[in-house]
Amino acid sequence: MSTRAPGARVPGKTADQPPPETPTTGRRGGITLGPRDRLIGELHIDGDVRLGGTVQGEIHATGDVEVDDEAKVNASLAGGDINIRGSVSGPVIARKRLVVARSGSLIGDVRVARLVIQDGATFSGNVSMGPQPDAFTPAPEPAPAGAAPEPVAAAQAPDMAAEPQPTRTDGKAKGKPKR
Amino acid sequence: MDVQEAVAESTPAEAAQDKKDGLRRFTMGPNDSLEGKLTYDGHVHVDGRAEGELRVSGNIEVASGAKVKAFLEASNVTIKGDVEGTLNARDKLVLGKNAKMSGDVTVRRLQIEDGASLNGHVRMGDFEHQGSGG
Repeated sequence: MSTRAPGARVPGKTADQPPPETPTTGRRGGITLGPRDRLIGELHIDGDVRLGGTVQGEIHATGDVEVDDEAKVNASLAGGDINIRGSVSGPVIARKRLVVARSGSLIGDVRVARLVIQDGATFSGNVSMGPQPDAFTPAPEPAPAGAAPEPVAAAQAPDMAAEPQPTRTDGKAKGKPKR
Repeated sequence: MDVQEAVAESTPAEAAQDKKDGLRRFTMGPNDSLEGKLTYDGHVHVDGRAEGELRVSGNIEVASGAKVKAFLEASNVTIKGDVEGTLNARDKLVLGKNAKMSGDVTVRRLQIEDGASLNGHVRMGDFEHQGSGG
C-alpha cells in the first residue's frame, strides 16, 4: 500500500464552516470527478463526493461518497453513506451504510454501521460492524502495554493449573468426554 | 471439547426429496438441536440450535431464530439467524436482513441484505480468474 498520510490527519474544521451535524438531505456542496479526472493525494471535503475517474490516496467526506462504474479508486474512503459501483482498493469507513453494487468491486477492510453487498459484487476484506464507527478519529491507541493484563493472568494461572488435575486421572471422568 | 459423530445417512421422517433438484433434505425444527459433525449429501435446513460441523453437498439454510456455532461448508448458504464460526460456500452466501454472522467466510459470491450484521474476514475465491463476466 502506497498510501502515506503526511502529517495532516484531521480535516481543517474552522469556526466559519458549518457544523458537520447538518442533516444529510440531498447533495450539499459536493464535488464530482468525471471519468477523465484524476486525483492523487488527500481530499477532505465538507459534503458529498462523487468519484468517476482515477483516485489514489485518501478521501474523507462529511457527506456521502459515490464511486461510479468507471472509477478506479486506489484509496482509503471515509464518509456517511458510501456507494461503490466501480472498483475500489483500500480501506473503507462508512459511518452509515456501505453498499457494494453488483457492478462494484471492493478489496479492503471495512468498518461500517450497515453493509449491503449485492449479488455479483466482488468483495474481499475484513468486516467490522458496529453502531457508530468514528471516521475521522484515528484508530484507538492500544492500551498501555504490560500494565493490566499481567496480574490478571497471574491470578488466573493457579486456578487453571488446578483445574485439569482431577480430570487427568484416567478413565474416571466419564460424564465429560475429553479428547 | 470433543464432538460426537452424528451419522445422518437416512432420517426417514425428515429426509424428503427435494422436488427441484432431487436432492434429499435434512430439516431441523425450532425445538431441535444438533451437536457434533454432520456430513450430508443433500440440503440442510437448520433451525433451533446447532453446534459443531456441517459439511453438506447441497445447500444450508439457517432459519431466522436459529443459533449456530459451527463450521459450515456447502454450495449455497443462506443465513437468516445467528451464526458463529467459519463458513465456506462453494457458490454463494446470502445474509438476510436479520442475519448475524461472525466469523471468517470464504465464498464465490456474496450477497448481504441491508440490516444484516457481519463481523469477520471475507475472502472471495476465484474472482480473479473468472472468464465469463459477473
